[in-house]
Amino acid sequence: MYLLNYRLKIIYYLIYLGGKSMFKKLFLTLIFSFSALTMSFNAIAADCSGKKVDGGAFPMQFELSEYESLAGCTMSFKENPNVASINATIRGNGELGSVESRLPDEPLVISPYDSIGSYGGTFKMLSNATEAGTSDLLSTRHVNFVRFSDDLQQIVPNIAKSYEWNDDYTQLTFVLRKGHKWSDGAPFTAEDVKFWYDHLMMDSNIREKPYGYLLVGGERMTVDIIDPQTVVFNLPAPKPGLTAMFANSYCQGFAPKHHLGQFHPDINSGADALAQAAGYENGYDVLKAYYGNSCWTDTPSPLLATPDKVANLPSDVYPSLESFITIEDTTEGRKYAANPYFHMVDTAGNQLPYIDYQNERYINENEIRILKLVNGEVDYKAQSLNLESVPQLMDGSEAGEYNVQIKPGVGSAAFSLNLTHPDEAKRGLFRDLRFRQAMSVAINRNEINDVIHYGLGTPQQYIGFSPRPDFVDAKWSQHYAQYDPDLANSLLDETGAVDRNGDGFRELPNGEPLVLNIDFATQGIGGGEVELVARYWNEVGVKTNFKEITPDEYRSSQSANELDVGAWKKGMPLALIMGEGKLFVPPYEDYFAHRNAMLWSEYIDSNGDSGVQPPGYAYEMIEDIAAFQASPIGSEENKRLGEKLVATMTGNLLFIGTVAPPFPVYHRNVLGNFTEFTTASYEYYRTYPYLPQQWYFSN
Amino acid sequence: MINFIQFTLTRALLACLTLFLVSLIVFSLMEFVPSNCAERYLAFKNTQGSNITVEDIAAEEKKLGLDRPFAVRFSSWISNIVLKGEFGQSCILRMDINELLSGRFMLSLLICITALLFSYAIAIPVGIISATTKYKSLDNALKFISYLGIALPNFLVALCIMLFMTIYYGDTMTGLFSEEFENVPWSSDRVKDFLSRAWLPIFVLGWNATAFALQTVRALMLDESDKLYVMAARARGISGMSLLLRYPAKHSLGPVINSLGFDLNRIFSALPIVALILILTESGALLIEALARSNDQQLAGAIIFLLTATIVFVNFVTDIILAIIDPRIRKGVMGGG
Repeated sequence: MYLLNYRLKIIYYLIYLGGKSMFKKLFLTLIFSFSALTMSFNAIAADCSGKKVDGGAFPMQFELSEYESLAGCTMSFKENPNVASINATIRGNGELGSVESRLPDEPLVISPYDSIGSYGGTFKMLSNATEAGTSDLLSTRHVNFVRFSDDLQQIVPNIAKSYEWNDDYTQLTFVLRKGHKWSDGAPFTAEDVKFWYDHLMMDSNIREKPYGYLLVGGERMTVDIIDPQTVVFNLPAPKPGLTAMFANSYCQGFAPKHHLGQFHPDINSGADALAQAAGYENGYDVLKAYYGNSCWTDTPSPLLATPDKVANLPSDVYPSLESFITIEDTTEGRKYAANPYFHMVDTAGNQLPYIDYQNERYINENEIRILKLVNGEVDYKAQSLNLESVPQLMDGSEAGEYNVQIKPGVGSAAFSLNLTHPDEAKRGLFRDLRFRQAMSVAINRNEINDVIHYGLGTPQQYIGFSPRPDFVDAKWSQHYAQYDPDLANSLLDETGAVDRNGDGFRELPNGEPLVLNIDFATQGIGGGEVELVARYWNEVGVKTNFKEITPDEYRSSQSANELDVGAWKKGMPLALIMGEGKLFVPPYEDYFAHRNAMLWSEYIDSNGDSGVQPPGYAYEMIEDIAAFQASPIGSEENKRLGEKLVATMTGNLLFIGTVAPPFPVYHRNVLGNFTEFTTASYEYYRTYPYLPQQWYFSN
Repeated sequence: MINFIQFTLTRALLACLTLFLVSLIVFSLMEFVPSNCAERYLAFKNTQGSNITVEDIAAEEKKLGLDRPFAVRFSSWISNIVLKGEFGQSCILRMDINELLSGRFMLSLLICITALLFSYAIAIPVGIISATTKYKSLDNALKFISYLGIALPNFLVALCIMLFMTIYYGDTMTGLFSEEFENVPWSSDRVKDFLSRAWLPIFVLGWNATAFALQTVRALMLDESDKLYVMAARARGISGMSLLLRYPAKHSLGPVINSLGFDLNRIFSALPIVALILILTESGALLIEALARSNDQQLAGAIIFLLTATIVFVNFVTDIILAIIDPRIRKGVMGGG
């Protein structure tokens, strides 16, 4: 009864939201038509005052000249009145020039979601620890060459002014913004891109092994500088997914050569001497302190890692292109100040971001985080919030003056049977497709949805791509996803796993007992869901036990090929699969998630010396995914191969999906220009598509 | 006197041995936990979406020196502490442990010792009253409150108070300092700020400890009051408070002093859970992180080493004090009267 009450509450809430957005649409249409009318009368160029215009190349953003001609105005630039005091908190930054001199010659014009914002305030946020649970906040200040627009379909320019592929997707050209500057005022050019790739990412002193996503088929790219504003990535083989990688990866494709380069022995022969003068062992030691040997920007800065020596360095952190830059870094949290050289302006010419500072606190306890959210002590949060907390959050939303959006995530919980189980009899049964089909239809997905997800989730089969791309037939999402215990029983009878001793449970075809043990970790899958699935399987006579273990124990049993059943969430969107094929190659995904074909991968890696030979369809998928990645998104070949991958993956039920749950997105009501998210997920890099640079505090 | 020096030296040696053994046990126990700190560190990264392979983990292990055999790692760790006073680097936080613990361990100790003093300040007089009062209901009431302290788990008390404070004062009461005092040098304002928040963990930890100490004092008092020497004193005409304080109370103090180290340990053991809930930035919370979440041997080892050192030191001092004040032990140690 209690749960039902909350469910109703959420449904009312959703209806309310739906109504609100309809009203908004109507309002916006009115505004648009009105502004279109006035525009035609207003041919004389006036000062831009934040007019909303249509017809740009990309949604919500314009190049300066594009906006000026569409809106029929000339833009003059304005700055945050506090910019001088903000700049003073950034150690190593000199006096500021005018706002015109700090912005690129062609700044990126952002059309605010609701209104032109006002400057000021501190954005309060929670993470779990220095490098844990931080991607939510990272995404609010993050920049890269490109980003996904808020529909999550289109890849639009950001740091880059534009990008272009050659015909066979082996050459990607980025055009940078003339006059773009690092947060210390030094020019940002193509040199910084080449430095990042050649001297940080590909230097074994920094990264022993380069990140896989920065390679193409295991080989490195070359980066060529055409002129200070034009840089070309030359790929050894086609990889159209590279742009999507830059759009949703935390890994920023540039680093300040003028700053980090002085400590790099390849760039500056006096690097080691310079480092030793500051009290470090050598240049790489300083690079490690600044760059953390990682292109994430949440690694400990010298402020935290080497507090005794940081004063000897030219700045506390290395210069950035992000909207905020670190000014304090302790084990309790971090503080950030607005970047006075940030490259975006709003449609009235105000330099972004509107907000002065960010304050990040570390809290590793979920319950305490929820308490702080209910108390309204945080401005925005989505990462590590689950549907379970929604009733509690909804309850306090009025008093705490915040709002909770419920948005679909990417992916869902999935179960798998160990296709290369060490016990040959079990392996034989698990490899029988009828057994996997039976286990899938034995699950009552609607009940899971009602009991665990308040009926807000989507019952579905696992198909490889999450969410389902348009080119994939919708039937696959429901393939053997119906609840049909009779079918399950008859399929199980066909496999020969019947109850021979009359104890109510089936035996293996060879007469030995059949017991499935689901060892699961709550990091990967909810306990309630596992409990229900175990019950459904028991109900069709397959004896199933379940036990919670730590994620580390899960990983180690999985690596040792000791699991009967894999249980972990699973999901990757099309854009990511274009650059990462692990979902379709044995052992199907990586060390930290779901692997159910360990011995197939051993067989492939050892060229057949050890392991178990995979079936033909496994080899087919390996070839198909490679060809799929080499074909451009949207091409006929790409669609055909994608559909074929889904047919093989789902037709063979390598993984059994259950329900895709939605997730809450929390924000305080005072946070202006906060739009409806399309998903609540890491996969599109959280807030990055929704322009957090134009958030502001409304009074 | 020779005997006393011998006694002291033996105790000191035993203390060092205990310290060594505890460190060894902590270090080896953490060895049995699946996945080392390199893997946990990368697992954090993975939850962020970073794509990590088994080779990445091997590379990280090599970088952190975790690929060396256990004996080499332990001996280099312990010798660095003994010879250089250096605890090394924390694997999960990527910072110098000496730097990390410099203020925090003292904060933890301060909280624990304050809680301990708080509990003794209440437990000793109240225990005596409870044992000797003529009013059964007073004794029962005191007993009830102290049993409540034992029965209620610390974290529950902390959570209840937090919830209360959140609802009525809009303050979650987390942390040891307000934000503006977090990273500034000590000053009188900072002490005030600290006390305005630290009372909560001190109260929560102290209540539980009070209950234990109170029960001990009460039981000892009841035991001693019936003994012959008390009766003899009574026969000599001593009565009331002066009798209590001079004889049974003095004698029941021995076991209380003796259990100082033990009580400190008990409070410190309760601290991490309370610290986690209250988001205290001290070493108890770090210990849980290091032990349970990140398997950070160096950090967990360092905290436990410091804690054991403190307790061993306290025990050593109480042994000496007892040897001096208690004639029975003095006699055993020094021989003769």
